[in-house]
Amino acid sequence: MSFTINATINDKKVSASTEASTSLLEFLRDTLEMKGTKLCCNTGECGACTIIFNGKPINSCVTLAADADGATITTIEGLADGANLHAVQQAFIDTGAVQCGYCTPGYIMSVAALLDRTAKPTAEDIEEAVSGNICRCTGYAKIVDAIHLAADRLSGRA
Amino acid sequence: MAKAEFTVVGSSPARIGGVERVVGKGVYGIDVMLKDQLHGGILRSQYAHAKIVSIDISEAKALLGVHAVVTAADAPDVRYGRSYIDRYILARHKVRFMGDPVAAVAAETPALVKQALKKIKVVYEPLPVVIDPEDAMRPEAPTLHEDMPLPKNLPDGVKVKNVCGFTAVHVGDPEKAMAEADVIVEEAYETKMIHPQYLEPRMTAAQVEPNGRLTVWANAQAPFPVRQEVAKTLGMPLNKVRVISAELGGGFGGKGSGITSGAAVEPICALLAMKAKRAVMIVLDKAEETISTTIRAGAKMYIKTGVKKDGTIVARTGKVIYDAGAYSGFGTQAGGRCTNMLGGWYLMPNCHIDGYVVYTNKQVCGPVRGPGGPQAAFAVESHMDSIATKLGMDPAEFRMKNMPKPGDKIVGVPKLRDVSLGETIRIAKEKIGWGKVKLEKNQGIGIATGSWIESAGPGGGAVVKINEDGSATVHIGKIDMGTIPGFGIPLIVAEELGIPVSDVTVVNVDTDASPWDAGTVGSRGILVSGTAARLAAIDARGQIFKMAASLLEASPDDLEIKDKQIRVKGTPAKSVALATVATNAHNIIGEVIGRGYCDNLALMAEEKAHGSSQPFTTHACIVEVDTDTGNVKILKYVAVHDIGFPIHRAAVEGQIEGAAAMSIGQALCEQVVFDKNGRTMNPSFVDYLMPTINMMPRIETTLVPGYPGAGPYGAKGAGEIACVPPLACIANAIYNATGVRIRKLPLSPENVLRSLKEA
Amino acid sequence: MEYFAPKSIAEALSLLERYGGEAKVIAGGTDVMVDIKYKEEPGCLINIKAIGGLAGIKENNGGVRIGPLTTIRDLETSALIRDKLPVLWEAAHQFASLQIRNTATIGGNICRASPSGETLTPLLVLEASGNIAFSDKETAEPFINFFSGPGKTTLGAKGLLTAIDVPYPAAESRGVYLKHAVRGAMDIAMVGVAVLITPDAAKKAVRDVRIGLGAVAPTPIRAAKAEASLRGKPLTPALLKQAAELAASEASPIDDQRSSAEYRRWIVEALTRRGLAQSWKAATGKEAV
Repeated sequence: MSFTINATINDKKVSASTEASTSLLEFLRDTLEMKGTKLCCNTGECGACTIIFNGKPINSCVTLAADADGATITTIEGLADGANLHAVQQAFIDTGAVQCGYCTPGYIMSVAALLDRTAKPTAEDIEEAVSGNICRCTGYAKIVDAIHLAADRLSGRA
Repeated sequence: MAKAEFTVVGSSPARIGGVERVVGKGVYGIDVMLKDQLHGGILRSQYAHAKIVSIDISEAKALLGVHAVVTAADAPDVRYGRSYIDRYILARHKVRFMGDPVAAVAAETPALVKQALKKIKVVYEPLPVVIDPEDAMRPEAPTLHEDMPLPKNLPDGVKVKNVCGFTAVHVGDPEKAMAEADVIVEEAYETKMIHPQYLEPRMTAAQVEPNGRLTVWANAQAPFPVRQEVAKTLGMPLNKVRVISAELGGGFGGKGSGITSGAAVEPICALLAMKAKRAVMIVLDKAEETISTTIRAGAKMYIKTGVKKDGTIVARTGKVIYDAGAYSGFGTQAGGRCTNMLGGWYLMPNCHIDGYVVYTNKQVCGPVRGPGGPQAAFAVESHMDSIATKLGMDPAEFRMKNMPKPGDKIVGVPKLRDVSLGETIRIAKEKIGWGKVKLEKNQGIGIATGSWIESAGPGGGAVVKINEDGSATVHIGKIDMGTIPGFGIPLIVAEELGIPVSDVTVVNVDTDASPWDAGTVGSRGILVSGTAARLAAIDARGQIFKMAASLLEASPDDLEIKDKQIRVKGTPAKSVALATVATNAHNIIGEVIGRGYCDNLALMAEEKAHGSSQPFTTHACIVEVDTDTGNVKILKYVAVHDIGFPIHRAAVEGQIEGAAAMSIGQALCEQVVFDKNGRTMNPSFVDYLMPTINMMPRIETTLVPGYPGAGPYGAKGAGEIACVPPLACIANAIYNATGVRIRKLPLSPENVLRSLKEA
Repeated sequence: MEYFAPKSIAEALSLLERYGGEAKVIAGGTDVMVDIKYKEEPGCLINIKAIGGLAGIKENNGGVRIGPLTTIRDLETSALIRDKLPVLWEAAHQFASLQIRNTATIGGNICRASPSGETLTPLLVLEASGNIAFSDKETAEPFINFFSGPGKTTLGAKGLLTAIDVPYPAAESRGVYLKHAVRGAMDIAMVGVAVLITPDAAKKAVRDVRIGLGAVAPTPIRAAKAEASLRGKPLTPALLKQAAELAASEASPIDDQRSSAEYRRWIVEALTRRGLAQSWKAATGKEAV
């Protein structure tokens, strides 16, 4: 059974048809061919598919595409301002937090949402924000550095 | 070498390819989109061991929208493998583990693929299943491979079965020496299977080109071995196959060894594409991947060591039982490495260890990050602490007592060039506060060391082309999964050519264009491609200087290159732009193309003459054990490494931290759990527990200078060695906290609490 | 698969009446989506998110009424929940990842009826009840009677949970929710223990105590014998230990890939002991002596 989804994705109005069983991740990747959001566990356990949905980070793999009707969504493709990277994107590159880069889009979305909530996150805030984002490459040290660097730059401390 | 000599190597600029990755525009394997692409899927065995009586594909084939259904009957009767050639791309006659591929389908939609797979009727005749490798060696065990011989080097009189690899270590006269020892400690250790769990699912896309050639897109660490194995298993001429590598979302050896690692997804997908006459793409589901692709094998290790009262080790004997899984895979090699490493990396005058690699009805051993090393080190470094305890010696002091010197041999290495091991121990003690830090109740401190191979092996080349704007395009045979193409290689080429790092492009591997390479495996990226790229850049620079010399009326020997300008040394005013020379080249030789190789024979000669420059490491940690629940929390973790000269410092630290995290996961929570029928009980990430940020300590990395390796500028490989010490490091800290020695992984809350209760 | 997004409870109930066992109700979807992908697709999906008035947290007759579509994150960030129902807040706080908490709903967690469901043991010790609607009737069902097995509730195929009523516990009471997992919040609990204890006026003896156990039986349970052994008595370390052992004996855990039954009993004992001691100290300012 297919029906039409009207949503605002990365500040653009999008209208496309989808099946009832389609996940939001499949809608983004396969229907809209926006491949930036990554598929991994497909069960809501790894965070690779994290997007910002009506202002909150969620796992798009366990969300119905149908729920996107009327929603406002930001994906990794919509975070930078033209050629100017978002502070979190820049910090991930600058600190060496991007190894294979596969968890990176989801990670960046979680961190961008965190820094929207909290200008100077504590270790506890960081754990809460990204415990659902698994990185298999870095052992997390450089990612923590990236989060602090981005926070400092956003609030003018660096 | 002092850092000051260099412009960019030794620093940590932004990785090449970083921007694409942070804006979601990096094209990984699973992001590939081919025109009119069909979806492919694989039917896997539901038995761990069974005869295939019949396969009926008629109903699946008849479904509208299904374009191809293939079984072993569609492929040549050809097997693949590394030491034992024992595996078909699609099971023929028998299945040997749950997950063995039996048939495959290509259809218009993923839903249709699922539906068609369900309609394939396979009749099995179940056979007895063997899960434990020690059981599999017994005479009464079921035979997994009827036509595979036992290893030729098995000692006379040894009665075993299902063995597909044997390694023996013999040094001196261990029996005699053991008899003269003051103290003998004998123990048994066991590690469990873990999955590498790179985040990007394994994929392949394939299409037959109008000219009849086959193009395969694979997120494989070793595109050239994939090409060779696809051609072989499909009976095609090698030059009709082209393999293109996309960005790789992690591999860790799991995507390492050609189709041996990939559960043959590449040839199966190609077979579908040939039959469907359409492009086909297969993406493995994560749970499917967890049960079917290659893993870090479990090992049982028996270890016995004799020491003198003063702490001098006089002899070691031991036995390794290494679980290959259903096919030999990388088991023979990894098991052999494990056997050698059970001899340790300290002075060992007398030693005898036998290592058996054994078939079981489980998924197959692959070359996962440091194959054989973490397992051996869990036994060796836990055992070192047990001996120290028995002697009443400080564990670190006991290790120092048996420290090799430059020129000494250790098991598996005939001659050491220099030895940084003691220095790493000294620094790790200092960083962790050994003997100084005040520990609360149920807290403990632990230390463990490690070593890894740094030696001759397959060679590899590089091509550096100078474009007319002075930028450089580099071709190597190694892929980018957060490794050298994005980090080390651009720095090396920029250093030698005097150009900015951002002017270097490293091209993804395409077997039609890139130099041959054995793959991004074995911590060999910097040694092989780093050496080759440096020599290729120097070759290109030589050609540039030759052409610039005539423009500047100087000798090529008097020229230098900096900031994209070629200058006469000491007369900076006399200069010409690199871009000008490169453009002029169009009218002379066309393009400056530098070539370089990592020469294996030269490396071997160097090792023979001066010894090998092994990397060494010491890790130390402080843990707290919850004696009510068995939970272990790591409070502090330090990793001290000699990896020679760090070409891209942040990348090297990142490799160390990531490798350590993977073994910390294996230590505390990771394992693939099987039931007695060989079914994987925890295939999804709900129950396959990898470390999350909240359970990880900050890994504090220290790089020890002063011990140059055989790589460019004195670099050593850094991708695997940090996987070696963590298992024992944590076990030793738990012992220190509780007085209980745990010899079986994982050190999960249940295992720890059970051990505490049984102690 | 058919798909409906009813706008009212009545519409949803008539769909359930029509499709019965063929239908699956979806709210946040964090569990149902996994079922759709990896188990059988249901014949019909009823998405109840468009029904107005089913989300929100309100004070109501000496307690809190929670709409079933309230997300776990909304519970976690509610000052009212944190202040008045800290045992439930603690469960919300330790619930999976932030991404999941932003999507998953308390109603979904309850109706999923997983023995390890994070919010269930707190709801049992808080003696909460659900407002359950069928096409022909509406009842208030205490959650202690609601769960009948893994994935099974008195809703059957045709009922809908329309509200969750949580009465405030006695002002002097204190409680905790303790979750045992290897990696913390991200994991499914190996064992969850919720404790609520009310001392007598002299803060000497236990006036009331409630102990909820999760992931150790086919449904979340109350440890009735352990509770009875404590009521009316001063909380001594010996009594505390005995009660914890009783709780362990009341559990009927299974061996699975997460842990053995024996280990789960050990953890029930340890966490009950810990939970009682912590709650007693919070309620009386004193250690159990």
